[in-house]
Amino acid sequence: MKLKLFLYAFAAMSLFGALANGQSLAITNARIVTVSGSVIEKGTVVVRDGLILTIGADAKTPADAQVIDATGLTVYPGFIDALSSAGLQARTTTPAPGGQGGGQQAAQQAAAQAAPSNSNYGFGIRPEVSAVDDLRGGDTQFDAIRNAGFTSAVTVGRTGIFNGRSAIINLAGDSVSAMLIKEPYAEHISFTTVAGYPGSLLGTFSALRQMLLDARRLEDWQKAYAANPKGMKRPDDDKSLEALIPLLNREMPVVFNANTENEIVRALDLAKEFNLKAIIAGGQEAGKVAERLKSQNVPVLLSLNFPKRTAAANPEADPENLSTLRFRAEVPKTAARLSQAGVKFAFQSGGLTAMNDFFVNAGKSVENGLTKDAAIRAMTLSSAEILDVSDRLGSIETGKIANLTIVKNDVFATDRFVPYTVVDGKLFEQKEPVRAPVGGRGPGGQRGGGANPGAAAPAAAMPAVANVAGTYNITIDVPGQVVSGTLVLTQQGDVINGTMTTQLGVTQIRNGRAFPDGFAFAAAVEFGGATIDIAVKATVTGNILNGTIDSPQGAVPITGTKLP
Amino acid sequence: MKRILNLTVTASLVIAFGVIAKAQSGGNVLIKNATVMTAAKGTLENTDILVTNGKIAKIGKNIAAPANAKVIDATGKYVSPGIIDAHSHSMLDAINEGSLAVTSMVRTRDVIDPKDVAIYRALAGGVTSALLLHGSANPIGGQSTTVKFKWGRPADEFPIEGAPPGIKFALGENVKRSNFTPQAGQTPRYPRTRMGTMEVLRDAFRRAKDYKQSLDDFKAGKTKVPPRRDLELEPLVEVLEGKRLVHCHGYRSDEHLNLMLLADEFGFRIATLQHALEAYKIAPEVAKRGTGASIFADSWSYKLEAYDSIPYNGYILWKNGVLVSINSDSDERMRRLNLDAAKMEKYGGVPEEEALKMITLNPAKQLGIDKRTGSIEQGKDGDILIWNVHPFSPYSHVEMTLIEGDVYFDRAKDIANREVLAKEREALEKLDMNKAPGAGGTPPRIPAERRIADRDEADRGDNR
Amino acid sequence: MRFQSSDFRFQVDMKKRFIPLTVAILVAANFAFSQNDGAEQNKTGRAGTFAIINARIVTVSGAVIENGNVIIQNGKIAAVGAGASVPSGAEKIDGKGLTVFPGMIDAGTNLGLTEIGQGLNASVDTAEVGNINANAKAFTGVNPHSAHVNVTRVNGITTVVSSPTGGLISGQATLINLVGSTQAEMAIEPLAGLVVNFPRIAQFGGFGGGGGFGGQGLQIDFNEAIKRRDTQIDELRKAFKSAENYGRAMDAYAKDKTLPAVLTDLKFEAMVPYVRGEKVIFFTAERERDIRAVAKFVAEMKVKGIIVGGQEAWKAADELKKNNIAVIYTNIYSLPVREDDPYDSLYEAPSKMQQAGIKYCISTGEAGPEVRDLPYHAGLASSFGLSKEDALKSVTLYPAQILGVADKLGSIEVGKMANVVVTDGDMLDPRTNVKYLFIEGRMLPLTSRHTELFDSFKDRKSSDILP
Repeated sequence: MKLKLFLYAFAAMSLFGALANGQSLAITNARIVTVSGSVIEKGTVVVRDGLILTIGADAKTPADAQVIDATGLTVYPGFIDALSSAGLQARTTTPAPGGQGGGQQAAQQAAAQAAPSNSNYGFGIRPEVSAVDDLRGGDTQFDAIRNAGFTSAVTVGRTGIFNGRSAIINLAGDSVSAMLIKEPYAEHISFTTVAGYPGSLLGTFSALRQMLLDARRLEDWQKAYAANPKGMKRPDDDKSLEALIPLLNREMPVVFNANTENEIVRALDLAKEFNLKAIIAGGQEAGKVAERLKSQNVPVLLSLNFPKRTAAANPEADPENLSTLRFRAEVPKTAARLSQAGVKFAFQSGGLTAMNDFFVNAGKSVENGLTKDAAIRAMTLSSAEILDVSDRLGSIETGKIANLTIVKNDVFATDRFVPYTVVDGKLFEQKEPVRAPVGGRGPGGQRGGGANPGAAAPAAAMPAVANVAGTYNITIDVPGQVVSGTLVLTQQGDVINGTMTTQLGVTQIRNGRAFPDGFAFAAAVEFGGATIDIAVKATVTGNILNGTIDSPQGAVPITGTKLP
Repeated sequence: MKRILNLTVTASLVIAFGVIAKAQSGGNVLIKNATVMTAAKGTLENTDILVTNGKIAKIGKNIAAPANAKVIDATGKYVSPGIIDAHSHSMLDAINEGSLAVTSMVRTRDVIDPKDVAIYRALAGGVTSALLLHGSANPIGGQSTTVKFKWGRPADEFPIEGAPPGIKFALGENVKRSNFTPQAGQTPRYPRTRMGTMEVLRDAFRRAKDYKQSLDDFKAGKTKVPPRRDLELEPLVEVLEGKRLVHCHGYRSDEHLNLMLLADEFGFRIATLQHALEAYKIAPEVAKRGTGASIFADSWSYKLEAYDSIPYNGYILWKNGVLVSINSDSDERMRRLNLDAAKMEKYGGVPEEEALKMITLNPAKQLGIDKRTGSIEQGKDGDILIWNVHPFSPYSHVEMTLIEGDVYFDRAKDIANREVLAKEREALEKLDMNKAPGAGGTPPRIPAERRIADRDEADRGDNR
Repeated sequence: MRFQSSDFRFQVDMKKRFIPLTVAILVAANFAFSQNDGAEQNKTGRAGTFAIINARIVTVSGAVIENGNVIIQNGKIAAVGAGASVPSGAEKIDGKGLTVFPGMIDAGTNLGLTEIGQGLNASVDTAEVGNINANAKAFTGVNPHSAHVNVTRVNGITTVVSSPTGGLISGQATLINLVGSTQAEMAIEPLAGLVVNFPRIAQFGGFGGGGGFGGQGLQIDFNEAIKRRDTQIDELRKAFKSAENYGRAMDAYAKDKTLPAVLTDLKFEAMVPYVRGEKVIFFTAERERDIRAVAKFVAEMKVKGIIVGGQEAWKAADELKKNNIAVIYTNIYSLPVREDDPYDSLYEAPSKMQQAGIKYCISTGEAGPEVRDLPYHAGLASSFGLSKEDALKSVTLYPAQILGVADKLGSIEVGKMANVVVTDGDMLDPRTNVKYLFIEGRMLPLTSRHTELFDSFKDRKSSDILP
């Protein structure tokens, strides 16, 4: 316990000592945005035992309180990221939807690294998978996201058709059990494909339908069997199907990852067909179907990861499609449209790596017609309502969980700074000036950058290089043909050596270098009587290798899995 | 300034590509003084067509315009029914579920994309309805969707209400994965031969019968546990009960004949043989079963099983009394089915109206939507094309395409709109989110020189 | 066992009268299967003196003659006109109600180089291995007995350029008439042009869609692609210069044997007449930027260039005209590539080239089976802006001019090769039937693999044994 306290103090580098057991915390002279009630221009919030004790312009500061003078600061209910992967190990991205193949390779890879399962269903169609199993306790993992102002988040993985069951967590806690607010919260579904069936978007919908039907039947059968087992064949104890029963009974929401109008409409159709308690996540084009969302009473976890052009300008490139240009221009208007149509929505980070963009883009929603109050609500009380935890989170009210975000300057402005957050009554301090952790190396964020080892800075300036040594099963996706083989790497410092073996023979690698997130090497391959020089660049995440092989004939992707 | 910009964007969104946000005419239109090719009752000179609430209310001379009707002067122009393409993969986000040999559970309806530009281009070529089929990667593919190309409308307005459900079957080279080399260690998917293909079909229908039996047994109280509702076999039971139309891709006549014999055995009728480029070799057998043929006008020699294809196929089938339609299976060819129909006059001498029916009334019959569309007759939907000249002339183009009396393509408007779109683009490109990043950034897309027209990539054999 | 189909038809007719029908059907079926083993012998027709009398004559080069005669003698057009006298002994053809056209020319095909493109590699001879294959000659690859030959010509296309594909320099195209039992008999110009897939960064580019960088959907670094494209243009330039050097050295050695002997290089040797500007080079290119790059290259190398493809050629009219570069347009049956392209952009392109004063012709760009659609390509261009007269010229006189054979082909004029099509209507109309066909003055039967299969099956009755 002592050690943990010590670590906590060290991590936060607090000006304040740790609160003694039962000691209260008073934030005084603050502007208080309660969200549930009116704004208190100058007042005090008192926190004790992890709960909000009192709030008010004239609330008394208890004698035992540790006091934070918040003059010039604004206290908000702790911000909620309504969909994230906070606290989960970074996984490979899901294969692109569309299902015309292409995803098959990635799907097979993802399956290869999945935890072993006894399920009757393949990797990616196992609804029983739970985010909670991948969480670990500890505060520091959330430093980046908390410093941005978040105190709670919905967290779930992003692979497969069934992403699995999410958890609502507080972004601090010594143990997983201490972090949890609600678990499981919802089942999350992506319209993507898996290895084998369903291998296309067509199959995705049919597989979902069949599993839901099978789950319904299983429930009936299990009930009948429980009532009178004699003379009846025993129903399967199928964990995957059982995980779907609460969905069918509207006991657990189903969150569909759906950004485009087509995806949202498809999700709404499926929800209607099976009477699911649906929620749309992403929702970039939700404004176009606001009426339908309203009539089906489906809320939206709206992504603030706004699309913007990333492609460099080039006179030889085609102009972008009008539909793309329009799409990007319309997305910032979505929140206002949903608000006008009376559709419930909450903001979520949508995979943003720079969490500051969350607030900048919330601000853009305000510029495009959303009221400021509604924007704040979409990251506090509206989120809590959609997540069905508004009795304990989302506003500054007596008795609610003491999650607070204390902000300097306008919350939507670029000079916004969060000197303090309170999570479960625990105070976290961030000293100014602190470089904003852009690109979030925190566990919630993706690994930064596109990994271009070729352009890496001098080794001395770089963090330690990755350990890439080992044996990989590799797949090279040459158009019209898939080449598979083995890559064996040895490593000394940042120098790597080894061989690549494929149908084309064994090749010695040259000029191998390891980088913080991967490696690069050159080689010569004999093909069709000619020697072809190739350059390989790859990133290694966990045991997954992803990269590109460049040759005079073109560039092709290389993927692989490190053998244990 | 910003507000003005937004207004421009919104205004042009509404008319972009001639999208009609809500039909201008409200389905009430009077087309005046045209040469009307009815595809049912001959060609009528100097004739008016009145469409009321989307339906053809009256065909005749000197019809007075009701107050609410949009009047189109078609003097000197030709009018025909909207073209119906009985084999299309346009507007589908996925074509093949090729992972299994039998995928009757998948539905093209689940993946339609109402914003596919192919729809608009097809409208400009006169296509108003289409059968959206699963690809040909497996003997039993997915369920089809019969749509009208209501460009600009939401997805759920595309499927034609009351159209009988359908399913795609396939035979031959694609199904047996002729051009698909399994990777090392990968088990090839059954079937690899035409023999195996027939057995997959037989097995599927036997399983469907077993399934039906299990349902009946449960109903009769013979079994205690309700059988699993099987989405794979359910549509096949519907086929056995004559409630679902089978559209079967195939080339070699022996294969299509074997399929029909199998259907005989299981007591159902194949609705259409798709492609059926050798069907002329078995025309009497096809005719006898009332099975339709939906063919290419004259494609041949692009694969071995298309080597015996002849452009007289349509004529021989027609002469034998087979219901023939001409389809495209291609976003490109779809735009010129009128010229494909014209070829039927040349090859064998199909009479003009019969040739026109091959892209209008006949596919409507094959898809079971002929009560509603396919010809210009009183009571049918106002699915109407206005042509500059005779649609079989090589110099013809569509001037206007109407579906249920609403204008979905208007060449004059399309041309006028180009300037508006250019302005919209200019405005949009100035917005921050559409500006290229100042430095760095991802590489732009490599431009393409061809747009792939044939979407059933099973033909390429790479499981896409 | 192989029948001549005309003989066979006679047999069936005889048998129909005397033997039970079923036997005839069995024979018919037997015959059909014998057809399955490949292409049949292409018929070469018969030579003679022919007089088409009282026909409407669309000369293309001059005015339409509403009622006149066309005399064909010694393989050439001997006389044309209302008063053209009929030589004694001429075989008379009543042209009443018929129209005479020059045979159509498709300047951008691979006809004869591939029989069945997909799944039958054994029949595909379009692309050699390697990047520079200047010495590969379509002339030696074209199969005179391809079933595509007859199918194409009976629709009025009498002449095609057949071209190899692939690589940077694909090889040499051949200009052939669609008649003859040997390649030499077919050839008008055995080596009609060098085919260069001009380097570009696009996907699905080049003749047959195989050129360019990057596979489908694959994102490669754009700047890298540009670098490689430029490297390839350098490679092309180097090959041209090398061929020039090779030619100079060869010439010098021929004159002066004391010079060191030049080692043979067939690739460079093949390129010599092209790099010297003596013969035309076909450059495949679609986008404006690439077309301009071709023009620059042509000017720099002082060669004779023709664009094949040409989607955006009208946008580069200035450069094309300045460098006297014509366009073989192959994109009537192509979808507009970009989502935002107007629906008719590729239909309209020929009309825009016409307006811009570019020399152009229309081609199918097809591999073989669909080359017979050439007239409808021209028709579609006409329904989107091109005049009917220009549409007709774009598949007759214009390709002849572009290929440098307008002295022999492309119009009904005295002295030209008698490639003559007699129809019952507008040749560009899909409803029109070809009634008589002459190539090099030979009157050809209007039969093909298609008519033969048609004859075999058109009267087949059911032998269905099951209910």
